[in-house]
Amino acid sequence: MATIDQTSNFGKVFWPVLAWTVGLIFFFPIFWLVFTSFKTDADAVKPELLFRFTPTLENYTNMTENYDYWRFAINSVITSTFATALALIVGVPAAYAMAFDPSRHTKDILLWMLSTKMLPAAAVLYPMTFLTKNFLNVFDTHFLVIIVLCLINLPIVIWMLFTYFKEIPKEIIEAGKMDGVSTWGEIKDILIPLAWGGVASTALLCFIFCWNEAYWTVRLTTTEAATLSKLIEGNRAPEGLFFGRLSAVSTAAIGPIVVLGWFCQKQLVRGLTFGAVK
Amino acid sequence: MANRTLPRLLQTPAVVLLLFWMLVPLSMTLFFSFIRYVLNSLRRPEWTTPSLSNWRGFGNYEYVLFDAKDFWFAVQNSVFIVGSILVLTVLLGLALAMLVNRTFPGRGIVRVLLISPFFVMPAVNAVLWINMILDPVLGLNGIAVGGLNNLIDGLRDFPILGSFFSMWPEFEPISFRATQTSAYAVIIMVTWQWTPFAVLIFMTSLQSEDEQQKEAAILDGANAWSRFRNLTVPHLARPIAIVVMIQSIFHLSLYAEIEIVSRGNGNKNLPYLIGEFTSNNIGAASATGIFAVILANIIALFLLRIVGKSLMD
Repeated sequence: MATIDQTSNFGKVFWPVLAWTVGLIFFFPIFWLVFTSFKTDADAVKPELLFRFTPTLENYTNMTENYDYWRFAINSVITSTFATALALIVGVPAAYAMAFDPSRHTKDILLWMLSTKMLPAAAVLYPMTFLTKNFLNVFDTHFLVIIVLCLINLPIVIWMLFTYFKEIPKEIIEAGKMDGVSTWGEIKDILIPLAWGGVASTALLCFIFCWNEAYWTVRLTTTEAATLSKLIEGNRAPEGLFFGRLSAVSTAAIGPIVVLGWFCQKQLVRGLTFGAVK
Repeated sequence: MANRTLPRLLQTPAVVLLLFWMLVPLSMTLFFSFIRYVLNSLRRPEWTTPSLSNWRGFGNYEYVLFDAKDFWFAVQNSVFIVGSILVLTVLLGLALAMLVNRTFPGRGIVRVLLISPFFVMPAVNAVLWINMILDPVLGLNGIAVGGLNNLIDGLRDFPILGSFFSMWPEFEPISFRATQTSAYAVIIMVTWQWTPFAVLIFMTSLQSEDEQQKEAAILDGANAWSRFRNLTVPHLARPIAIVVMIQSIFHLSLYAEIEIVSRGNGNKNLPYLIGEFTSNNIGAASATGIFAVILANIIALFLLRIVGKSLMD
């Protein structure tokens, strides 16, 4: 009989070793960032030292006085959390209606929502600055950053929730209706518990996107509502004098999110391809 | 009819919010693109307030297309950067997805290592690459080239072969801060960040490939290459199209990386050019913005068509 597994003995060793090598190469820049964060600024600009240096935590202990890290980190936490919450509050009812009470326009509305995500942000840079600075007077406030982060992620949130909700059999929701459960009750007591995993991973992904957003958070803030993206961009250190401390603050800025990201790899596909790849 | 009202009501906040978000700033951009509007002008102070009396028709568009020397350079550079990233991420993504798709010890860990770059915030990505890795003196770029030179130096002492290596020059580490090379730096760092995205999507798609069909092909004596060409490639056509389009849309608005890597060295793409115009000439910034919207919409139309189709299955 022909064997289905045609891998030779050589292949059994070669491919896994290659896969591991590639994985380590891809991770290396992150490793190097974390590694450099334990060097003093003087050691950090001598990459030839490799392992011959005394590790130090001073970059982390001095993060507050060097960069005022916590102020930016707290801004990132506040804006990302509230933007995610707001996106869910607006998105869950909308996705619920679209999934269980679709009209003939539902598909068009969903596609139109996605198309708003595809507008290049730079095209509306000045109007946004103009409106928020001169007109609405909300420039550089948490309120503005929260609203903007919510709006740019709302299409993805609704879309993801929609694909999760669609997997729930309609009969369950309709049975609730027969029993005279209110719409709010249906969402709260039937839908959310059933689609809990989907709602959670949507929230997680939305939070990650908010945290990493680097156009509006930089352009629409100065000091009050500035997030970690703004902090890092403002300290790009072209002269390389502060590699150590810059690495520490960068590690602190990406660490939590990279770890969160590990938990939602699978959902990422759904969130970014709008259900078009299964 | 009453049961139609509630679902509509539930969708209203989302629709209204997105409608405002899309229409208000965009129509302002459209308006500004047809008037003379600058932030500072001592000679013509009336141009500093947006008003219909400063109507310029298509003047800003003509200015951007024919007089502003950077527009075509920015378009060309945008296309160059986006195109290179697309080719690299799709090829690397396909290769790596095939590699990780087989089972081997520690596969879960390798997947985590591979996906991590995608979650690094763009500002950190740029700062990390341009300073700590690509810098010719302070980064790893310098030691890598130094190591190569040392290796060649060592080889020069060999009999016979040595005279061959003596003809080799000493290599200089490339600086990634010049106009053209900083575009390469941007391509490298974005490829690093987005290859995981391609890998993830191709892997998801590979897993849904019909194994029975593949086994049948093996029994029919089809070799690995023809199985790949006739079964896997057609199966991956749609995911490839999606990866290409989604990335095009994201990378056409690439900003943080260019801002950090190339500030002031002349390397620019459309969003960066818009940013430059915005410091004074709002009319030109808005006209450029409209061009960017048109460019993005051409790609978006294709993408939405595919997404719309898969919505039906």
